[in-house]
Amino acid sequence: MKLLDIALKDMTRHFRSAFGLVMMFVAPLLVTGLIALAFGGLAGDGGFSLPQTRVVVADQDEGGDAGFRAGGLLLDAMNDPDMASYMVVSTAADPAAARQAVELREADVAVIIPPDLSAAVTTHDGSAVVEIVHDPTLTLGPGLVKAVVDGVVDAFNGARIATHVTAAQLAEQGLPGDRVVGQVAMRYAEWVQAQGAERDRGEYAAIAIQPPPGVADDVSLGARIIGTIAVGMVLFFVFFTAASTAESIVREDEEGTLARLFTTPTSRSTILAGKLLAVGLTLIVQTIVLILLARLIFGISWGRPLAVTMVLLGTIVAAAGFGVCVMSFVQNTRQSGPVMGGVLTVSAMLGGLMTTGIPNLPAALTTVTLFTPHGWALHAWKLAMEGAAAGALVAPLLVLLGYGAALFGVGVIRFRRRFA
Amino acid sequence: MRVLDIALKDLLQIVRDRQTILFTIAMPIVFTVFFGLIFRPGGDGSEARLPVGVVDGDAGGALSAVVVEMLEASGAVEPVAVPLDEEGRAADDVARGRLTALLVLPPGFTEAALLGGDPQVRLVTDVADSTGHGARTLIERAVLRALSAARVAQLSAEAAEGVRPFADAAARDAYLRDALRRGVAAWRDVPVEVTMREARVAAEPDSPPAGGFAQSSPGMIVQFSIYGLMTAAGALVLERKVGALQRLLTTPASRAEIVAGKVLAMFVMVFVQQAILVGFGQVAFGVDYMHAPLGTLLVMVALALWATSMGLLIGAVAREQSQVVMYSLVAMFVLASLGGAWFPLEITGRTFATIGHLLPTAWAMDGFQNIVLRGLGLASVVTPVLVLAGYAVVFFGLAVWRLRFE
Amino acid sequence: MSSQAISIRDLHKHFGDIHAVQGISLDVQQGEIFSLLGPNGAGKTTAISILSCLLEPTQGDALVMGHSVTRESAAVRAVIGVVPQDVALYPDLTARENLLFWGKMYGLRGRPLAARVDEVLETIGLTDRQKGRVDTFSGGMKRRVNIGVALLHRPQVIYMDEPTVGIDPQSRRNILDSVKELNRQGMTVLYTTHYMEEAEELSDYIAIMDHGKVIAYGTHPELVRIVGEQDRITLTTSGDYDGLLDRWRRLDGVSRVSTEGEDTVTLLATDGNIILPRVFEEATRAGVRIASVQVQEPNLEAVFLHLTGRALRD
Repeated sequence: MKLLDIALKDMTRHFRSAFGLVMMFVAPLLVTGLIALAFGGLAGDGGFSLPQTRVVVADQDEGGDAGFRAGGLLLDAMNDPDMASYMVVSTAADPAAARQAVELREADVAVIIPPDLSAAVTTHDGSAVVEIVHDPTLTLGPGLVKAVVDGVVDAFNGARIATHVTAAQLAEQGLPGDRVVGQVAMRYAEWVQAQGAERDRGEYAAIAIQPPPGVADDVSLGARIIGTIAVGMVLFFVFFTAASTAESIVREDEEGTLARLFTTPTSRSTILAGKLLAVGLTLIVQTIVLILLARLIFGISWGRPLAVTMVLLGTIVAAAGFGVCVMSFVQNTRQSGPVMGGVLTVSAMLGGLMTTGIPNLPAALTTVTLFTPHGWALHAWKLAMEGAAAGALVAPLLVLLGYGAALFGVGVIRFRRRFA
Repeated sequence: MRVLDIALKDLLQIVRDRQTILFTIAMPIVFTVFFGLIFRPGGDGSEARLPVGVVDGDAGGALSAVVVEMLEASGAVEPVAVPLDEEGRAADDVARGRLTALLVLPPGFTEAALLGGDPQVRLVTDVADSTGHGARTLIERAVLRALSAARVAQLSAEAAEGVRPFADAAARDAYLRDALRRGVAAWRDVPVEVTMREARVAAEPDSPPAGGFAQSSPGMIVQFSIYGLMTAAGALVLERKVGALQRLLTTPASRAEIVAGKVLAMFVMVFVQQAILVGFGQVAFGVDYMHAPLGTLLVMVALALWATSMGLLIGAVAREQSQVVMYSLVAMFVLASLGGAWFPLEITGRTFATIGHLLPTAWAMDGFQNIVLRGLGLASVVTPVLVLAGYAVVFFGLAVWRLRFE
Repeated sequence: MSSQAISIRDLHKHFGDIHAVQGISLDVQQGEIFSLLGPNGAGKTTAISILSCLLEPTQGDALVMGHSVTRESAAVRAVIGVVPQDVALYPDLTARENLLFWGKMYGLRGRPLAARVDEVLETIGLTDRQKGRVDTFSGGMKRRVNIGVALLHRPQVIYMDEPTVGIDPQSRRNILDSVKELNRQGMTVLYTTHYMEEAEELSDYIAIMDHGKVIAYGTHPELVRIVGEQDRITLTTSGDYDGLLDRWRRLDGVSRVSTEGEDTVTLLATDGNIILPRVFEEATRAGVRIASVQVQEPNLEAVFLHLTGRALRD
């Protein structure tokens, strides 16, 4: 059939060009690999290796009774060998020097221990503030340092509270408390240490951690993270390819071969239909190859076969419609470059394809994504990857088909008006 | 001067192409807003709080109140009350990423903690998920605090018992609960506090953090400087294809003059684009570029130089418009992501962050961020500027070597 | 009627304010080579586009092998072959692939198609380059494939729109010879050009077009007779020749004097040999030096010049 001849001719041209092949297959896999490398490496062990945080401590603590130095204890905790892979600790003479070290980027985090720390811990009315100052571009390293400091400070606070409550209650009863109060502090400290030790061993009894339902344990973490990212990138380049294939209509118009086709006995409808068919067929080949390769290279599990088929179908229809619609507004190939780059990137961004690796996005963004076919495609893929059954995918599939048909319709109408 | 004539002609062609203008100016602005809102929506304190579901089976228990209160007060986590019978749905939400975690406080939690049972809460979370890490730490602290309030009560009762035994179980119980009440109250007003803030030179000590735009604005400037070249490189390729470039060679203009003219045009375009975005960032989002105007200017010049060298290289190597698009887009993706323009390099692994700093884009980000985030001055941009200039020299060399006029 | 390949009746085509074709009427008999001769912008390509069913006429109609271009477009397209002015081929496909594809568009299939492609490749002399990508071909070779595509379905009528523009003399010679050969095999050829020599060499009939109208029509001898077998004298002068032109016009035997540029004058005269001395005399009397002289016996350029006052080639 002439329809098929035209479609196959277009596909031959597209698959022969280096540009076509790069944008269809190489680029999405490359970018996925890169970003996957960013978020935890391909080792798939889930290990998250932060760069070592450089901490500078200014310990001004004047100490308390009987040689008790809270500041020293805090410093010891940070110098603990277990912490060595996460922080490297140095000391500064005074708070100004510590802050300056961070400002000059010689250190990432400054911990400033006030002179009255020990006093606050040991006396009834004392209070103190431990100040942490960090490089504005960092969040995780400082967070870690704060967690360590918090832990020690909480221990101090708890001991103080323990003695305070005990003493207060005893006083109310009219009982002497001096002897026992010191013991209380020690016993509390022991308890806190024991809790800490349990946590460090990973056996904290007070909190039982359960994985969320459906989170497949057999799929490595690396594959799971990469899977989400891969979806975003695959979808971006699928939509790109749709537009790129549809561009052939504009290009042939420029090359003069479209006009020549019109002088043959083949009807214009057939010609147009053949070129549109090429878009669909190219996308089918691209998506199937990409998901197979992604599975092979990155170990991504896409979901149950029927679910995946449905999602593929919806994606192809929606993307084809999108590509055809966008190209119907383009006058010549000089325009099509920036249009493809621009429209595609913006719509991909709005559809959430660039931010798939980031969880807990603002709800507003999630709503916006559902105005784009990209967003719905992403949503459908995520469902499939979570192991959803075919039934759950019926609604997204219908939406995608609807989007695709509508966009396709607009594009076809415009092209017909232009050529037929 | 012929160089100026050539540059002006090129600029005229660029400016005439309205779509280019749209995509070179409008798009970066849109992206800046978008990414700024994603990472830290504004510096007014309304930060993205991670939602954590809480099933309070111990309703009314003093300790569960301690836990929830502490989560609330943290500002980093948003506790979402989940009714008992919706625990399953909430767990699914965790799987879907709609909730960072689900904390289930069992019935009798307070009693168990107080009376020496084995108090145990359940936390449904994906341990491997790095973003949930902060929430988990916070929850652990909150639970520990609750347990410690119970422990304080126990210790006080035991201490009192050591001084004088209680009349009966009821008296002990009353004493215990009183101690718990005091302990809980005391934890609300701790003696030692820990504060954390960003180091910002020349900023008010209490000024709010710079906000997400201080990351996204320079990030988008860096990324789109590459995107802008797509047009410039495309124009070069087109000129070569139609033979106009070759024709230039038949005029008295020398090769050097022609290349210089084109470089000048590209540079002006990228620089103007940057200037508009910097101005926009300063005025609309309060990103403080003008804090060190000379420093900002130097970084802009260095970035424009490097971007121009990239554009020339792409224009020299590409044969077709489609190749220009391909090289530019792939370069943009790679350089922007690895360079820290999309997300801070810190949140990536060690390897990635190291590789990233080999790239010129990371240095450009450093230059800008030293000024807008760290509040540093002119001296801080010297190294980034030198690195960018070095890269520019290398790329120019490659481009001139590969440039064909026909 | 039955022997007419093409019959054009009062054809008009307006593009907004531009009247590209203004009421042309022509007949082309089957088996003829018919040329449309005219400068760029005369409306030749527009006329061909209408006859190829690419454009709808604003007014009027044309019949190709008895089928109306406005109402029976599909039937028309089945019997015509079109060789467009600009090469319209797929540069990234080979010559053979191009021919196979276009053959399919004309309804050929399978073994008959393959055989026909082999024949056409033979005809255009590219059998041993058939596996080469078209974008690696020279201009002349591309044009040959361009023609080949139009021949696949053995059309009864073939339109060739300026097929020899910008190619080397060897390829041009090949194309002109193949046009004659095709015609010998029975094909009707409608050939547009602005090269007078081609029109003279190939055509049975010639129609001269200018500004959308047919300003003259006939065989070569008939057309040349319009200028009355007048010679064409082209002079370049130095100096100001105002006034001189009128004197020349009044010379006995001179029918037309026109200028081209600042220093070129063209005269049409009955006998160049007799007129020339007098032309020189007048020039000397006016103090104008004549730098060069060229005498050209009557041809189509002269006809065009006579009819329009302008040169055929601009």
